[in-house]
Amino acid sequence: MFLKVIQLGWKNVWRNPMRSAVVIIAVLLGTWAGIFLSGFFAGMAQGYLNNQFKLTVGHIEIVHPQFKDLYSPEYYIPNSDDVIRELSQLSYVQNISTESVTTGLAQSAHSNYGVTMHGIHADSNNAIADYIKEGTMPGQSDKRNPVLIGQKLAERLDIEIGSRMVLSFQDKNGEITGGAFRVAGIFDSFSDPYDEGNVFIGLENMNELLGLTNQVHNIQLELADFSQASQYASQLQNEYPNLQIQTWGKIAPELQYMYDMTDLMMYIVMVIIIIALIFSIINTMLMAVLERTRELGMLRAVGMNKPRVFSMIVSETLFLTMVGAPVGMLLSWITISYFGNVGIDLSAFSAGLSAYGFGTVIYPSLPNIYYLNITLMIAAAALLSALYPAWKSLQLNPVEAIRKFN
Amino acid sequence: MAVIETTGLTKVYNADQVPVHALRGVDLTIEKGEFTAVVGPSGSGKTTLLNIISGLDEPTEGRTIVQGTDLSTLSDRQLIDFRLHHIGFVFQAYNLIPVLTAIENVAFVMQMQGRPQKECNETSRALLEEVGLADKINKRPSELSGGQQQRVAVARALSSKPDFVLADEPTANLDSVSSGELLDMMLELNEKEDMTFVFSTHDQRVIDRARRVVTLVDGKIDKDELRE
Repeated sequence: MFLKVIQLGWKNVWRNPMRSAVVIIAVLLGTWAGIFLSGFFAGMAQGYLNNQFKLTVGHIEIVHPQFKDLYSPEYYIPNSDDVIRELSQLSYVQNISTESVTTGLAQSAHSNYGVTMHGIHADSNNAIADYIKEGTMPGQSDKRNPVLIGQKLAERLDIEIGSRMVLSFQDKNGEITGGAFRVAGIFDSFSDPYDEGNVFIGLENMNELLGLTNQVHNIQLELADFSQASQYASQLQNEYPNLQIQTWGKIAPELQYMYDMTDLMMYIVMVIIIIALIFSIINTMLMAVLERTRELGMLRAVGMNKPRVFSMIVSETLFLTMVGAPVGMLLSWITISYFGNVGIDLSAFSAGLSAYGFGTVIYPSLPNIYYLNITLMIAAAALLSALYPAWKSLQLNPVEAIRKFN
Repeated sequence: MAVIETTGLTKVYNADQVPVHALRGVDLTIEKGEFTAVVGPSGSGKTTLLNIISGLDEPTEGRTIVQGTDLSTLSDRQLIDFRLHHIGFVFQAYNLIPVLTAIENVAFVMQMQGRPQKECNETSRALLEEVGLADKINKRPSELSGGQQQRVAVARALSSKPDFVLADEPTANLDSVSSGELLDMMLELNEKEDMTFVFSTHDQRVIDRARRVVTLVDGKIDKDELRE
């Protein structure tokens, strides 16, 4: 009999096709918008994380234990070649990048600015190469003492490709040193502050000025799965007790916070949309119940018991929701997959986005588990929406319900 | 054998505020196969009496015994089940389910009783033929006239194989031709099937054809006449 009651519920949904269609479309659009927005935010956050991983922080960073305190050149990684060779054998390490790092002053004929200097291998496959706007990497230039600088710094110092500039900093003994460099390339990354505050020169040039030989200050590991960084960092710390091994989350807690918050944000967006949908569905179902007072009274009078009446109203609500939700989910999956490949170009807002370190092309993405969770959330919302109208239908007194409209 | 027996039925609405006495000690016995009209002016207590007989309402005092069962001893759930299996209802406004066809409306009560689908279909079809709607079985209520809808309602009332059919003003929304046809049909069922009908009405043409007329005035039985 319950099957018959549910069949009746389905037919009741189409009693007022226009009203049901409006609710179904609202559920469809709400589901689509909620999931797509979540995918958009997730893609934006993931893009931000990827950008940061590319340029500013590795999944795991290995430095001398005192290096991070003062960025003093004397705290390099001893036997860094051996360490790098051993790390390259690890299966979970996808890529290793190394650099000498120090801070100092960049000067041109017009201005000066405090910068972080990165000494990179000539043959290094450094991620900054992806952002070169003009010129070449230091290692590929035929100029003497080539330097790669950011667009913003070039504007600040009022220099261009081929211009001379001076970099001054302390060597490993604390003495002031420096050298004249020629701009070989200009990069334009996703972040204005980064472009303004970082310069790249050859590792040999850098080490020569610092008084080092072949050492580096920083080894960055790119993992196959960055979320496993803590586990691998602990293992590495045991193997290299004299080095400081930190995860991206420890080095940049704001990134960890963003990563943790992304999931929460996605669910908050979805919950807000679902709450709006719940009220819309309750409103519609209440109208459906109240306009059928006499009919429901008749059903109770002729012998339809409360569980069956309750089931009928609940099934109507579930149908209303469950017709729109899967279509909305399919639509959102299609749009997220499509834009996940081609990206959403927000270059019109590039100034604002790059000021905060976001890329101008967003690639929406959403883990599959999220679709399952959304399904469960919508099912729960549908059930919640059904309860009040169904309860209301049970409160009808058959005698009054029938008499009221006779 | 008495199908319905009421003893000292009293119903007072708003007992705590301004009491309205709808029934004042009604004693009534309906035998099997009777075709009884309950008549009286508006507010005389006709509908209240039918509601109490059907277990839809409770008396303030008194007892209702239907087929030997004292309705006051039944729980809400048992009352619903009792109505489902023992009483057929015909309402003034037909009250068919608009999204179901005529045959589905008739079958619905049987389905609630848990009878097999095949039996539901066959019985519904036979009942609709009996009430003269063989060619309308797949029509929805909106495609039927008022008289035809009320015939479907009668078929639905009979589908549960009830002990009796209660009809509250069954002809009130019908024109004279449809009223006459409905009454003919109910009388025929009464005679052929020995089905007991109890109905409230204002319609003099219906009253004229009833075999027993119980007149209520101010919640009391004023007259109870049997006709041949």
